[in-house]
Amino acid sequence: MDFSILFSEFADLTLNGVVVGAIYALVSLGYTLVYGVLRLINFAHSEIFMMGTMTCVFVTSILGFTGYEDPLPIWHFFLVFTLIVISAAIVSGGAAVILEIVAYRRLRVIGASRLSSLISAIGASFFLSEVFRLLTGNKNLDFPRMINKEPIFQFSSAYVTQDKILVLVGAVVIFFILNRVINHTKLGLGIRAVSQDERTSVLMGVNVNRVISYTFLIGGILAGSGSAFYMVFYETTRFNVGFLIGISAFTAAVLGGIGNVRGALLGSFVLGLFQQYTAAVLGYNWRDVITFAVLVLVLLIKPTGLLGEALQKARM
Amino acid sequence: MARILLETKNLTVKFGGVTALNEVSLQVNEGEIAALIGPNGAGKTTVFNIVTGYYKPNSGEINLDGESIIGLRPSIIARSGLARTFQNIRLFGDMTTLENVTTAADGLNKSGLIGSLFGSPRSRRDEKQSADKASELLKFIGLSHCAHQVSKNLSYGDQRRLEIARALALDPKVLLLDEPAAGFNPREKVELGELIKKIRDSGKSVLLIEHDMSLVMKVSDRVTVLDFGKKIAEGKPSEIQSNQRVIDAYLGVDEDAS
Amino acid sequence: MATKKRFNLRDAFGDKWEKSNRIQRVVFRVIVIALFYALPFLNNPIIDTPETSFRSILFYPLIMFSLMAVGLNVVVGKSGILDLGYVAFFAIGAYTQAMLGLKTSLTFWEILPLAMGFAMFAGLILGLPALRLRGDYLAIITLGFGEIVRIIAVNTSAIGGAGGLTGIPGPVLFGYEFTVVDIRPYYWLTLTILLLIIWGVLRLTHRKPGRAWEAIREDEDVAEFMGVSTLKYKLWAFIIGGAVGGAAGAVFASQIGSIQPDMFSLNLSIMILACVVFGGMGNIWGVIFGAVLLGYIPEKLRFLSDTRIIFFGLLMVVMMNIRPNGLVPRKKREKIGDKL
Repeated sequence: MDFSILFSEFADLTLNGVVVGAIYALVSLGYTLVYGVLRLINFAHSEIFMMGTMTCVFVTSILGFTGYEDPLPIWHFFLVFTLIVISAAIVSGGAAVILEIVAYRRLRVIGASRLSSLISAIGASFFLSEVFRLLTGNKNLDFPRMINKEPIFQFSSAYVTQDKILVLVGAVVIFFILNRVINHTKLGLGIRAVSQDERTSVLMGVNVNRVISYTFLIGGILAGSGSAFYMVFYETTRFNVGFLIGISAFTAAVLGGIGNVRGALLGSFVLGLFQQYTAAVLGYNWRDVITFAVLVLVLLIKPTGLLGEALQKARM
Repeated sequence: MARILLETKNLTVKFGGVTALNEVSLQVNEGEIAALIGPNGAGKTTVFNIVTGYYKPNSGEINLDGESIIGLRPSIIARSGLARTFQNIRLFGDMTTLENVTTAADGLNKSGLIGSLFGSPRSRRDEKQSADKASELLKFIGLSHCAHQVSKNLSYGDQRRLEIARALALDPKVLLLDEPAAGFNPREKVELGELIKKIRDSGKSVLLIEHDMSLVMKVSDRVTVLDFGKKIAEGKPSEIQSNQRVIDAYLGVDEDAS
Repeated sequence: MATKKRFNLRDAFGDKWEKSNRIQRVVFRVIVIALFYALPFLNNPIIDTPETSFRSILFYPLIMFSLMAVGLNVVVGKSGILDLGYVAFFAIGAYTQAMLGLKTSLTFWEILPLAMGFAMFAGLILGLPALRLRGDYLAIITLGFGEIVRIIAVNTSAIGGAGGLTGIPGPVLFGYEFTVVDIRPYYWLTLTILLLIIWGVLRLTHRKPGRAWEAIREDEDVAEFMGVSTLKYKLWAFIIGGAVGGAAGAVFASQIGSIQPDMFSLNLSIMILACVVFGGMGNIWGVIFGAVLLGYIPEKLRFLSDTRIIFFGLLMVVMMNIRPNGLVPRKKREKIGDKL
């Protein structure tokens, strides 16, 4: 256990933690929104994210990037990046909607047991990741560096680079848009209503199927966007990238309070920072074990999370 | 002076910002059939949920035959003599009628898993005891003819009665019935009333949540009325019937009370 | 339709079974069991598998999967607890056999109960906190547990690290040494263990524990209200599942001789889960049937082998939507009763 790195690199770790947290947030919002309307953990959400990353790689290869080019001029980069984000968002969003229809809808409609839905979710998750394992030949896929990653300035030990700024700014923009949707649109109202009380929502004329589809769509779009930021930052992906990101994002959602949007944000940043700090002390090997440990501890000690509602007991 | 079997004292229960029960004190005495009535949402089922240990109250006492049962797990409370049925029928659907009752009867046996595995004398005795008790209960309640039918295929009336038989398997001191007559036709309600009296006569007390006033009047010894989580009246059925506060609370459900 | 035909077969069998007397049943059982012991001598090109010998398949995956499926079935199928980290018990059993076999002079027969014991203990430690949680969260935690065990194995050089352990000794029975070359004794050993476990599980199923588990599976809250100590029985399910997984792991390690952490991945948990789901949740014969089918087909049809997980994943989604109770649903009690 070496604390010296933690102290000497504190600012850099903090900056990275916030950037990683932003990426987690985009993914964990998907978990939390779906949980809110379905009271179900969408196991396959991690694969939705993975498919987004694959889309990013695909788009860049179609555009002809080989990874050996010089960084693009800023405006050119924004154009390309916007295209990538939109593509990933469309693919992930679409996949999420299809996923809901194929793996969850029937079970929800016939009132199948929780266990059945969970198993179906897991089956879908594995199916998707394996399909991509075969498609990508189990290899790491790299994302070309299109942006200059030289530090623009340095704050204490923190290297502020363009990609980090991109992630942070982009995430903020997306959160802002999401907030508008959730709180100022009819759809958002529907989502909030179904999250609170599905039966009453139906009685009040809410089309629950549509709301649920849209919720999956939004979660997928967020994950897809997150995947684009992920690719710019980490520059690589593989078929099982969803698993680890998913565990972190899910833990973040639970940490903040599952079902609670602000909780997902808070939890993501807290977890992102926590991961960086503990990795500095214990080494990156143990990062996932630590993340699981956080998850277990939260569920045992304060299952409602930092901001969350109680894990509802069934209405008797 | 009849023994008090179940009592709550100043029971207060809050869910988030909502006060579901506000300083509710009630009791069920030995050998009596008590009824708990009130408009929808008054907190009646919450009383059942709290008293059987599913939720913990914010404050107040709950005593079963003199001993506090607050904080105990529902299965322990069930085995101590407090059993219930449910507003929406909740049977073990894929199990047979007999199995439903046997499972509850098992609760009173102390034999454990190892005993069952190796066939210890105690476990063998317990198995026979549970089986016999279950058969007898089915006979008592009139369900022997469908003992081996999968319970989800039973008729509505049989399902409701099975729930009662299952609860009885725990040898409860007090039996909690949550709207047992829901969906029954008049004849079935009369039969139910007879059954409840038969249960009381066999030495158990009953606390009944019901909306059907004629059933309540015919069968209960005492009635407690809840409204918005507070007790607003208590007394003999005839007294309650003419209580203005109760009538106001119901606002017209009165038509049943003849 | 295939499923209808199977149903009738079972009904016909059930009727015959009820009409037979005790002696006939014992004879039947003995014959069937003898047949299973004789399987390694079967040498038929029709059943042979392309890349590995049928005998080898018999051991792994067929009977290994069957054993683990029976164990997992108690947890998932009978009690309704979704365990996604079952491989952890398998790993604990395997590593116990490896470490104790290599570092101490204990024999396999002495290590086996220890391996089961450690796995059971792990089940207890995991279960005590985890089983209080609701289904989804419990599932995630078991998933985490499975992964954590693997990650610890990779990162702990004391137990071999990423390279694993080699030279694990095999059992010695009455002077006969099990060798790597002949897989049959391992098969027979596992078959014997499987039969014992089946005996135990059936006994429990037909008595109070079985009813308690089923009640928990049907409606856990109501089971609790009806006097069933749900936590206790869920823990037992976990512990039993762990014991079986640990036993399987110990035998596996002693046969294969060298183990690495990546043998104990999430994929294996999912495959065993698929066996349970596919074969028939809660039905012990169903899950064995499922395990045999899901173990055999990818070996027979080699092209499926690399796509095995895709197949299993798709299977789980399809099964849940079409036949959530598996191919061989829990017994219709009016027909066969609990006499088998």
